[in-house]
Order: sequence, then structure tokens, then C-alpha cells
Amino acid sequence: MSDLDRAIAQLRACRLIPEAQVRELCYKARELLIEEGNVVCVDAPVTICGDIHGQFHDLMELFRVGGDVPDTNYLFMGDFVDRGFYSLESFLLLLCLKVRYPDRITLIRGNHESRQITTVYGFYDECIRKYGSANVWRYCCEVFDYLALGALVLGASSELEPSGPMMDTTQSSMPIDDTELETEVLNSRGEVTMSTYRPRQRSSSRNISPPRDISAGPGQAPMRSGAAGTGASGDARGSLSNRTGAVLCVHGGLSPVIDTVDKIRLIDRKQEVPHEGAMCDLLWSDPDEIDGWGLSPRGAGFLFGGDIVKHFNYKNDLSLVARAHQLVMEGYKEMFDGGIVTVWSAPNYCYRCGNVAAILELGEDTSSGGTVTRSNGDYGRSNGLLGATAGVRSPGRRYRVFEAAAQDTRGMPAKKPVADYFL
Amino acid sequence: MAADAPVRLLPPLDPSAGHSFIEPTKRIHEHGDVSEFLCSKGYVDIMTFLLQLNRSMFPAKLSDGRVQAWPLNSDAVEYSAPVRQLQQLLSKLEAILDEAPPDKGPRRFGNIGFRRWYEIVESRVSTLLEECLSPEVLHRKSSDPEGPTAEAELKAYFLGSWGSPQRLDYGTGHELSFLAFLAAIWKLSGFPKSTPGVEERAIVLGVVQPYLDLVRTIIKTYTLEPAGSHGVWGLDDHSFVPYIFGSAQFAPALSETDRVPEEGSLPDAPDPNGVAKANIVERERRGNLYFSAIGFIYDVKRGPFWEHSPMLYDISGIRTGWAKINKGMIKMYNAEVLSKFPVVQHFPFGSLFSWDRDPNAVPPPSTSHTTSGPQSRLTDNAQVPGTKGPWATSQAVPPAGGTAAPWATARGGPALPDTSRLPPGPMAPTRAPWASSAQPGPPPSDVDPSGGMTKAPWAK
Repeated sequence: MSDLDRAIAQLRACRLIPEAQVRELCYKARELLIEEGNVVCVDAPVTICGDIHGQFHDLMELFRVGGDVPDTNYLFMGDFVDRGFYSLESFLLLLCLKVRYPDRITLIRGNHESRQITTVYGFYDECIRKYGSANVWRYCCEVFDYLALGALVLGASSELEPSGPMMDTTQSSMPIDDTELETEVLNSRGEVTMSTYRPRQRSSSRNISPPRDISAGPGQAPMRSGAAGTGASGDARGSLSNRTGAVLCVHGGLSPVIDTVDKIRLIDRKQEVPHEGAMCDLLWSDPDEIDGWGLSPRGAGFLFGGDIVKHFNYKNDLSLVARAHQLVMEGYKEMFDGGIVTVWSAPNYCYRCGNVAAILELGEDTSSGGTVTRSNGDYGRSNGLLGATAGVRSPGRRYRVFEAAAQDTRGMPAKKPVADYFL
Repeated sequence: MAADAPVRLLPPLDPSAGHSFIEPTKRIHEHGDVSEFLCSKGYVDIMTFLLQLNRSMFPAKLSDGRVQAWPLNSDAVEYSAPVRQLQQLLSKLEAILDEAPPDKGPRRFGNIGFRRWYEIVESRVSTLLEECLSPEVLHRKSSDPEGPTAEAELKAYFLGSWGSPQRLDYGTGHELSFLAFLAAIWKLSGFPKSTPGVEERAIVLGVVQPYLDLVRTIIKTYTLEPAGSHGVWGLDDHSFVPYIFGSAQFAPALSETDRVPEEGSLPDAPDPNGVAKANIVERERRGNLYFSAIGFIYDVKRGPFWEHSPMLYDISGIRTGWAKINKGMIKMYNAEVLSKFPVVQHFPFGSLFSWDRDPNAVPPPSTSHTTSGPQSRLTDNAQVPGTKGPWATSQAVPPAGGTAAPWATARGGPALPDTSRLPPGPMAPTRAPWASSAQPGPPPSDVDPSGGMTKAPWAK
């Protein structure tokens, strides 16, 4: 068993590793992360997770519900630390898993992965308390600076394979002929509690192998995905080429100074999160029921409306923006006709909010023999190249919803350090 | 310095001297202003009143040698007419909850029904105050006949006591506002003169505790977020003063001339580690403010106590008694509430709580407050400057900024960004700590129902 595997085992048991080991781990993690672009490309299948906030036992529950690493691929959208009691255990475990299985787990930066925020919201205090000095906090902050700012999930299937037993109480739009399963919600026992279907989109010969470089006239207005079967015939198996756009994952949301995914790639990210500008916005913004852009009550980032999301997705060949950053009582919340989803993975947040958590599974599109359709914003719809023939379909989305982990097994610490005020 | 006098009391306004009331306004606009605040007369008055109330909650050594403790609902405490009227005021506010039921529509967290409740209170504020305060207090006139009456100042602190209708949160800044409301009534001689301690403990048991009860009901009814909490790494999501007064209730008894003890406990006080035991909390919350606050945490939080409330858990390990806890709580209140920009930035200053410098104030060690922006990693509040009040012992106030994790001993950390800016509303949306001065303050009368989105976040 390697040191790393031992560290993983120890952290899984919610026991911290020695400071020297943290230092080494952080060094290795930085070496790995420095090679990643600002926007990491991730192939489906992948399970997308939102805020963790040091809720270690709930992170273990997440792995129980979603499958263990490396059996399941994970993408965590930041906010590993602060507020909860176990930010160290949670972040160090995720970091160990990243170093051990770099292709199986992707970590992107949240607004809490910052020196200034962690000194306010608890992670700094936790490091001092658990390690007796700020060294570990400093090592972790250095890693934060190297975390990617976003990820693009490619090759997700538009259709879900139905899973699990249906509960009697399952709410469902009726599966009828020529429909495909679009979303499914499962509880932590794997029972389906809701599913929605949509009309199957037939393929035409043109988009079985999506042309990459056919330019179309600039005046040719591309249409959004048409109604089912528009202009398409072909057999019932013709869904093979269902083309799903890429899914952009960021912690917060969009930025008024970022109109293409490529612009994210231009950011010099290896720094403390600035208080304004593109990098700040990606980590701080929130979607809202407004038109256009609005000022955020958080004092950083912006609010953005459905029109912004639609335009951004269209221009960048995206079918979905997945983000975290906001507590949602149901664990996930789709907005703007499914153009954006908030995923929140900290159940009963702060021990009192009473919310459930969710993770989002995107399946692999196996229809093209494993070839991933590279639609990541490098080319595409902004040139109008796909014309009216194919809309970008949103991926099939399976949400697994779970509650806070049971608490009965957690022992009480024997030592009670005494705060300065009380000495 | 009056350090020898065991009791310093907040002096009432001299009725024979002229006085001008002032519509209170915010004076703490950026981080550096906190140092000014800590040298102001308003700060001294707040602290004096708090310590006066605190002292009154220590059990009393009676002349016959018996010890009289002051549990909640104690028969030994009589409520004066002004105290009873304030209780009625609180009951009326509670009744307004029925007029503003929680909104049933979709919500992310905080319930917008609270805005309705607050609107009603605001619309009736003049009547409510008239019904509970004597005209001599409420309508006391400025020497200048054109000047405002005391009502202008009382209203500001009263309305600031209930949480933010914009942000749907409640925190220690609102609690501070209520303390100022009571202290303002005190300064206006709204409470009867009595032996030191008598009226004060009636205020704590008869008004402060019912206020805390009402606030807890409001928080639960509208799921108000904690303003400015650090998650598990703060003392309490919403409150502070019950930990001060409650620890005093269990401290050793005092005679009228004794100084407040710094160690020890009342002989039959529960062990501080009782906070981690549900049955002891259930028993003690009925009679003690500290346990009453702990009981509320038990009501709203799920999970092991030591995990969701590690600071309170650590404090429960203190072996040197409730007086030690009391002393620590006061130091902590000074550092973590009164010295924190995000908390005190909303506090308005008028004539009763004056922004004027206290003549005895010790100047802050540094005055290089050039910006309040994110780059201003102030380290100069590491020592809380300010007035040395009579309560100041030889021991310096602990560091408030920088590396001031309260349990961090003098280990010499790195030059850290300032940690004193606790942004409000942490439950769901983290706010940028550098943006705090741009956050719309509590209750201006023209509340923007969209939640204060009209200000540029970086605007100073």
C-alpha cells in the first residue's frame, strides 16, 4: 500500500494526515493542476457535484450514493471548505483522490477556495485549531490558486437508460412511443421518484457525423432545436446521433466580460480570486429571474438572466451550464428551460437548513462508438454552421438526491482547546 | 479612571442641562472607522450599560449571609411599570406575526413574509412606542424647539432590532440595536431609580429574555439567516448577550461593593460541560439565559453539539468557573461584535450614542486607514484601541483582527488578511467581505424589496 493509499484510507476514516504529508500532497497536486487548462475537458460519464463546505460525513454519503472513486468519475464544482467542521478532512481527501486518480476526478475552484474568504468563514480557524499553525492553511491556499476555473463535459448522452425500480409515488410524464427519458430523480436508495420524457429527436444523415468545418452563410439564422422529429425521418433507432452540446461547469456562473468559453481560457488564473473581473464573476455570479445583467447582493459577481444563458449556450454550442454556489432546498434546481442547473451537495447545510443534497449524473453517449463529439465552443454555432438541421439537445440528466448522513457514529473529541478570551 | 468603583452606571441625561437630539446616522463607513467608534462616547455608553446589566445578573450576597440567585421567572425580581410596558410592546410585536404569515411560494431560503411583518411594525412604530413609553421619555424635546424629539433616536434603535428585511437575516448587530434602545430609555430616565442592580436585572429578565424569545420565534417563523456567522466556527449563529448574562447568573455571589469576580461559580451551578448534554440543557434552559440560547441551538440544529458548535463546546471545558466564562464572553463581545466592521457598520449615531470622541479614549495604534477596499489588509486593529473603561483590567483586550482565531495563542501567524469583516448572510449566499460597506443597511424606510441590488458592490 502506497503512502497515498494509506493517506486516502486514513482520511476516509475522517482522520487527518501529518502536516509533512499535507505539504507533500499539496505539492504533488499543484504539479498536476498546473498542467490543467482553465477549462478542463471531461468526458462523460461523469457525476457533477456542488458545494461540500466541510461536511465530511455527507461527502461520504455522496460517495455511497454516487459510487466510489475510481469507479465513478466525479467533477466537483468547488466550495470544498469553510463553514463545516471538516473542511480539512474533506478537501484533503478530495485532493488525495485527485493525485491518485487524476483522470477520474476533477476539482474546480469555488469562491471559498480563496485566502480572504477562508479567513472569514472558518477554514483558517479550522487549520489553526487542528494543526496548531497556519502552515496547512497556506499549503491549501497555494493549491486553490491552481484549481481550474471551469470544466466542459463532452460526449454526454441525450437519453438516459431508465434505472432502478419506480416508486409507486413516482411522478412521471408518461413514456410513450418515440420518447426518450430526459431526466430522472432518484432517492438515496436508488428508487426513481420522478422522471420526465421528451420526444425523441431523429437524426438526419447530416448530423450523424457533425460537420465541423462547413461554413454557412453568416445571414443564415440557425434555429433552436426544433420540435421533435422536425424534418427528420428515419427509423426508430435513429436517435443514435442525438447531439448533445457540451456542458459547462463553473462554480458561480457567467460574466459580462466572458462571451465565449475561449475567453475563460485566456485568464491568468494562478492567483488569489480577484474582487472583480472575469475570474471573480465565474466564481461569484448567480442566475436570477431578470433580463440581462444585474448587480449581485453578494457584492461580487453579477446576477444574470435567462436571456444571457440562452445566448451564451447558443453561441458556445453548450446545452447546459451546471453550477453550484447557492443553497437549493431540493438539492438541484433547473432554470431557464433547462439552460442552467444549480447543484447543491451539502445536505442540511450548516446543520440546520433542512435541505436535501443532489448530484447530477451525465451518461455517456455510446452511439458513436465511443467517439466524443467535440463541441466545446472552439467552433460551431456562432458561425451558424449547423444550420437548421440539428439543435443542440440537452443531455439526459439523472439527479441522485440524498440527505444528511446519520450522526450516531461520530465520537466526541476529548480535548477542548480553550480560546484566548477565556484564558 | 474609575477602576476602583465596583459599579459604574450609565448616567442619565441631566434634565436641567440643555440637550439636542439628533436624527441618528451611520458613521462607520469603512473599516478604519471602527477604531474611531471604539474611541467614541457611544461605544463607552454601550459598554457601560452592558456591564451594568451584566453585574446585576451575578447572584447577590444578602445581608443575612444568604445568596440570592436570579433565574429566569424569579419571584425575587419585581418588574417596574416601564418593564411591564416593554413586555407588552414585545407581545404586540409577536401578535403581528399572525398578520404576516410566512409566504408559501417558492423560496430559496429566508421567507419574504418577514418583509411584511417588518412593514407592519414600521408602519405602526409611532403608536407602538407611544403605548409603551411615557411621553416624558418619548417626546422629550431638544433645547432647540426646531430640533427632533427623543423619538427620532429611539425609533432608529427600535427598528434596527429585528433583523434585516432586505437580507432576511438576523445577527448580533440587531441585538446590539436593541441593547441601545434599552440604554437610550435608561439615559432618558425611563426606568425608575432604584438600588443598583434592581432595575437592571428586571430589564435583563423581564425585557431582554422576552426579546430573545421573540427573536427566536421570528427566526424560526421566517427562517431568517444568521447575519455574519462563520458556520460552525462562530460562537452562535445569531446571538451573543444571552451568553454574557447567562454566565453571570451562575457566577459566584457578590455584595454591593464587591468587584465582579474573575473566577469561580455559584456552588450549585451546573457544570459548564452540561451544554453538551441534552437533558441538562432541557432542565437549565428554563432558568438561565446561557442555556436558553443553547436550547435554541438544540431546537434548530441537528448533529453532534461539539461538531456544530465547537466554540461553545470548547468553552464548556473551562474548569475555572462561570465567572471566567463571563469575563471571556465580555472580552469576546468587545472583539467579535463591537470591533467588527460588518456588525457595527449599521449602527447609527445621534445624541444619546454619540460619535464624538470620548475624552479618555486611547488613540488607536495606527491611523493608516487609507482604503476600505479589499487591498486594505488591515493589521492595525489587531489591538483593539479605544477607551479604557472602568471594566478594563490590566489584561489587554485580545486581538480582534488578523490572526485572531480565538483559540490561536500567540503563535505568530502570517500576515493575514483582515478577518474582522464578517459578511452577513452566510447561510446560503456568501457575500464578499470587501463589499460590506456597500451592503444596504438595515431598514431604511424606502426598502428596496429586491434585496438591495441597486448598489455597485464595490461602491464605497
